[in-house]
Amino acid sequence: MSQKPSIGVFICHCGGNISDTVDVARVKDAITSIDNVRVAETFEYVCSNPGQEKIKKAINERGLDRVVVASCSPRMHLDTFRQVVKSAGMNPYFLEMVNIREQCSWVHDDKTKATDKAIALIHAAVKRCQFLEPLSPDKVKVTESVLVIGGGIAGINSALELAEKGYQVYIVEKTPTIGGHMSQLSKTFPTFDCSACILTPRMVSVSQHPKVKILTNSEIISLGGSAGNYEAKIRITPRYVDPKKCIACGVCSLKCPVTKPSVFEENLVLEKAIYRPFKQAIPNASVIDKELCLHFTKGGCGICEQFCKSGAIDFSQQEEFMDLKVGAIVASPGFSLMDPRLVSQYSFGLHPDIVTNIQFERLMLQGLHRPSNGEAPKKVAFILCVGSRKTAANGNAYCCKIGCMTAIKQALLLDKTVPDAEPWIFYTDVRAHGKGYEEFYAKAREHLTVFVRGRAAEVIPEGDKLTVVAEDTLLGKHVRESFDLVVLSPALMPSKVLNELASVLGVDLGPDGFLLEAHHKLKGVETKKEGIYVAGAAQGPKDIRETTMESMAAASKASTFLGKGEVTVSPEVACLIPNRCNLCGNCIEICPTKAISKGSNTVNIASVSCLGCGACVSICPKEALTLKNTTEEQLIAQIEGIVEGADPGPKIIAFTEKMTAYGSADLGGQSRRNYSPNIRIIRVPSVSRLGLKHILHAFAAGADGIIFVEGDDSFFKEDRVRELVIKFKKDLGKFGIPSLRLQSSTITLPQYEKMFALFDDFVERVKKMSPIPQEKRIEIKKYLEAT
Amino acid sequence: MAQKPPESATERVNSASKDEDSRRNIVKEVMKMAGGEKILECIQCGSCSGGCPTRFAMDHSPMQIIKMLNLGMKTEVLSSSTIWYCSTCHTCITRCPREVDFPTLAMSLRNEAIKQNLVKNTSAKFHESFFNIVCKYGKMYEPELFINVMDKSNMSGLRANANLGIRLLKKGKIRIRAPKTEQVPWVNGILEKTSERGSQ
Repeated sequence: MSQKPSIGVFICHCGGNISDTVDVARVKDAITSIDNVRVAETFEYVCSNPGQEKIKKAINERGLDRVVVASCSPRMHLDTFRQVVKSAGMNPYFLEMVNIREQCSWVHDDKTKATDKAIALIHAAVKRCQFLEPLSPDKVKVTESVLVIGGGIAGINSALELAEKGYQVYIVEKTPTIGGHMSQLSKTFPTFDCSACILTPRMVSVSQHPKVKILTNSEIISLGGSAGNYEAKIRITPRYVDPKKCIACGVCSLKCPVTKPSVFEENLVLEKAIYRPFKQAIPNASVIDKELCLHFTKGGCGICEQFCKSGAIDFSQQEEFMDLKVGAIVASPGFSLMDPRLVSQYSFGLHPDIVTNIQFERLMLQGLHRPSNGEAPKKVAFILCVGSRKTAANGNAYCCKIGCMTAIKQALLLDKTVPDAEPWIFYTDVRAHGKGYEEFYAKAREHLTVFVRGRAAEVIPEGDKLTVVAEDTLLGKHVRESFDLVVLSPALMPSKVLNELASVLGVDLGPDGFLLEAHHKLKGVETKKEGIYVAGAAQGPKDIRETTMESMAAASKASTFLGKGEVTVSPEVACLIPNRCNLCGNCIEICPTKAISKGSNTVNIASVSCLGCGACVSICPKEALTLKNTTEEQLIAQIEGIVEGADPGPKIIAFTEKMTAYGSADLGGQSRRNYSPNIRIIRVPSVSRLGLKHILHAFAAGADGIIFVEGDDSFFKEDRVRELVIKFKKDLGKFGIPSLRLQSSTITLPQYEKMFALFDDFVERVKKMSPIPQEKRIEIKKYLEAT
Repeated sequence: MAQKPPESATERVNSASKDEDSRRNIVKEVMKMAGGEKILECIQCGSCSGGCPTRFAMDHSPMQIIKMLNLGMKTEVLSSSTIWYCSTCHTCITRCPREVDFPTLAMSLRNEAIKQNLVKNTSAKFHESFFNIVCKYGKMYEPELFINVMDKSNMSGLRANANLGIRLLKKGKIRIRAPKTEQVPWVNGILEKTSERGSQ
C-alpha cells in the first residue's frame, strides 16, 4: 500500500469485564502514539448499538480505512464487527479484532502485566492491519446432480427423494442388484411388515424414475473436484449378460453345470455360476460369476450361450470406466456382519444347525426348517451380543443395536410358525429403545419366550442336538439346555470396503470404523467435507426406521446445498504467486483436501476445496504460494508487534490453531483459569502455516520462547506437529537458540487445563534460562535481512 | 468435533466425592492388585460363570465376585470359597468380552485373604501345605500332603484314600521316602522372592 493507512482503534470496557483488570486509559495512551493510528477510543460496550455507531461515525468522519476492535474473542463478535464496517462502506476484511477479554483480562490478575499484554496484543494487530488486503468471498456454480453410493434402502430412499426434487441421481451399487440387506429379511420389527412388500415397490420406482441412473457391479475409484463440482470415476465390472436383452427366463441357470453357495441365501442354498441374485432383483437379469464360470476358468463350455434365446450372453464384455460430474454425494454403503467363527465357543461352522440371524431370516422365507434334516425346529436358542460390546480381541466395543429386537421378532415368528415352539433368548441386556419396541418385548414375554439373562458361555454340538451352556445371572444358576437350532446375533460391522471408500472420498472414519459425522448431535448426516453426506448403517449400527429417516435427512441436506445454485468460497485460501512454481509437488502431497493438482507448468488450486490451513505455503521451497488474510507480511508484522514492546519479559508467543486450540483458550478464559501473562496468543489457521522464518523473526524481535498448539481434530495430527517442531528445533540450534525454547502440544477443545499447565511450566522453564543476548537477536535479524 | 480421549478407570475412581470413600477406596485398592485392573469394565454378562468348570462348588459365581468388589463388599469376597475353587483354567478370561482377568485376581485375593485371616475354606489348607512341603524338600512329597490335608475324622474317606495310595504306590506314581534335593535353599530363595512380588 503506497498510501499510509489511517487506523482506528476501539477499546472495549466490556462493563468492567475488561476494564477491571486492564487499565484501558493507559492502553489508549500507549496506542495513540503508534504510527498511523488516527483514532483511539475506549467505550463501555463497543458491541452495543451506540458502540457500533461510534465506529461507523469514525470511519465516515475521520476517513478511517482500517479498524481494530480490542474486546472479546473474534469467535464471539467477528461477524458483528465485520458487518459494522461493511455497512460503513469498508471492506469487511479491513477489520482486525484483538481478544483482550478471554485471553487477557479474564485469565490474569496482575493489572500492570495484563495492561502490558493488552498493549502488546493491540500493537500487533495495528502493525498487522497495515498489510490487510480487501477480500471478497467467491461464488461458484454447482452441478445439479447427486451421486448415491450404495443401493440399499438408504441409497434407494435418498435417490428417490432427490430425483423427485429434480436432481439427476446416479446410484453406484457394488453387487449385481440393488436392494441391500433389507431384501433378505422376512418380516420387520415391531410391526411384522413384510420386508419385501415395503422394499420392492421402492426398488421398482427408483429403477423407473427418469432422473435416476442405476449402475450395478460398479464402484467409485477416485474423486476429484470440490464441493458442488465433484468429479467421480466409476469402475463397472462386466456381468457378461446384457440386461437389456435378458428376459430373466432362467434357462441359463438350469443348464449351467457349475454350482456355488448362494450369496443372497446366505450359503444355505446352492445356485449356478450364472444366476439371478433373487427374483425381484433390479436389474432383473442374470449375471455370470467369472471366478467359477467354465468359460473363464477352463476356456470352454458356453452352454448358457447356446440355450439363451434372446442372445443376452456376451463373454466379450470388458471392464468399463465412467466419469460422473456431481454436485453432492450421499454415501450409504451399508454394513457387514461379523464372522461368528471369531467367537469360537459358539461352534459356528461345526454344525449346520448353528446359524446367524440373517440365515434364520432366509430359513423363515424358505419355510422354517433345520438345515441338517429339514425338520421344523421346536426348541430354538437365540444368542445375542456375539462379538458386540466386547473390548477384547475380535470384538466390537459398541452395541449392534438391532440384535435384541431381531431376536424377539424371530422368537415371535417361530412361535407363530411352529406349534409348541420354545424360543429361548440368551441376552446380556435387552435394549428396546425405539417406538413400539418395549411393547414388542412385552409381547414376546406374553408369548412365553424364555429370557435368560446371561451371555451364553458355549454351544456344544451333541449328536443331533445342540447344548447351550450359560449362567442365568439373575438366579445365579447354571443353565444347560438342549436345542434343535441355535441362532447367533453377530456384531454389525462397517462394510468391508468402507476403509477404501473413506480414503477415496477423503472423509473420516470414527474409532469404531464407521463413517464419522461432522457433529454427533447437530450434524448427524454431514461429513467434515462439504457436499458429502452419510446415511444408514455406514455411519453406525441402526435399524431400518432410523436408516430411512437418515437417508431423507441426507437427501434434504444435499438438496439444500445444491439448491443455492452456487457455493460460497471463503476468501481465506491459498493462492499462487505467478512465475515462481517449479512443480516440485510438495504442496500437492501435503494438502489435506487434495485441493492442489498438477497443471502444465504450474500447480492449480481449487479454491472451493481449500481449507486455508496454509500448510502448502510454508512447505513451498520457492515461496510461490500465499495464504489470503495470513500473508507473510501480515504474519511477520503481527509476530514482531506482539513482542516489540518495552514491557519486561520473558515474552512467549503461543501460536494456536484457529478453531479448536484457540477455542479451548477461550473456554479456559470463560472459566477464569489463570495462567502466566507472559503468554501471548497468535491465532493461526494451523501451525503447519508456520515456517522457520516466522520463528526466527519472533526471536529477532524479542521473543523468549514459542509454543505451538494444534487442535486435535485438525488435519495435522500430533505426529505431524511433532515432526515440524523437531525440524525447527534442529534448525534453531544452528542459530544458537536452545531447542528448549520451543514446545508443542495437541489438545482437544475441553482440554484447556492441559494447555494452561503447559503454558505455566513453559514460562517457568524459560525464566530459569539465561536470557538471549541482544547480539544474537541482531545476528538473526541480519541473517533474515540478507535472505 | 474432537472426541474427548476416554478417561482412564483410575481417574474416574480418583475423582470420587467423599460420600462413598470406603467403597471407592476398596475399588481403587482392588484395581491395583494383579488381575484387578479391569473390574470396572465388567458388564455382568455372565460369560465367565456360564463356562466355569468349578462353578458348581463355588458359593458365589466369578461374575458375582466382580460385582461385589465393585460394590466394596471386600470382606464377603475374601471369605468366599470362590477364590479358592478357581482352578485357573483361564476359560473365563478367554471368553470375557471386557478382558477381566479373574484367575489372576483370584490369586491376589487369596493372598489378601490369608493376610487378613479371612480364610473360611479348607482348600486354603491344601495350598498352605503344598507350599510348606515344597519349601521343606524343594519339590513335592505327596504322602505328606495327603496326611496334612485329609479329614482325619472321616474314616470311610480315609480308607478309600488309603486304597488309592496303595494303587499309586504300586504303579510308582508316588514314593514312601521323602525326596532329597540339594538345591533346597535355592528353591526357598525363589519362593521368597515370588511371594514378595505377589504381596506387592
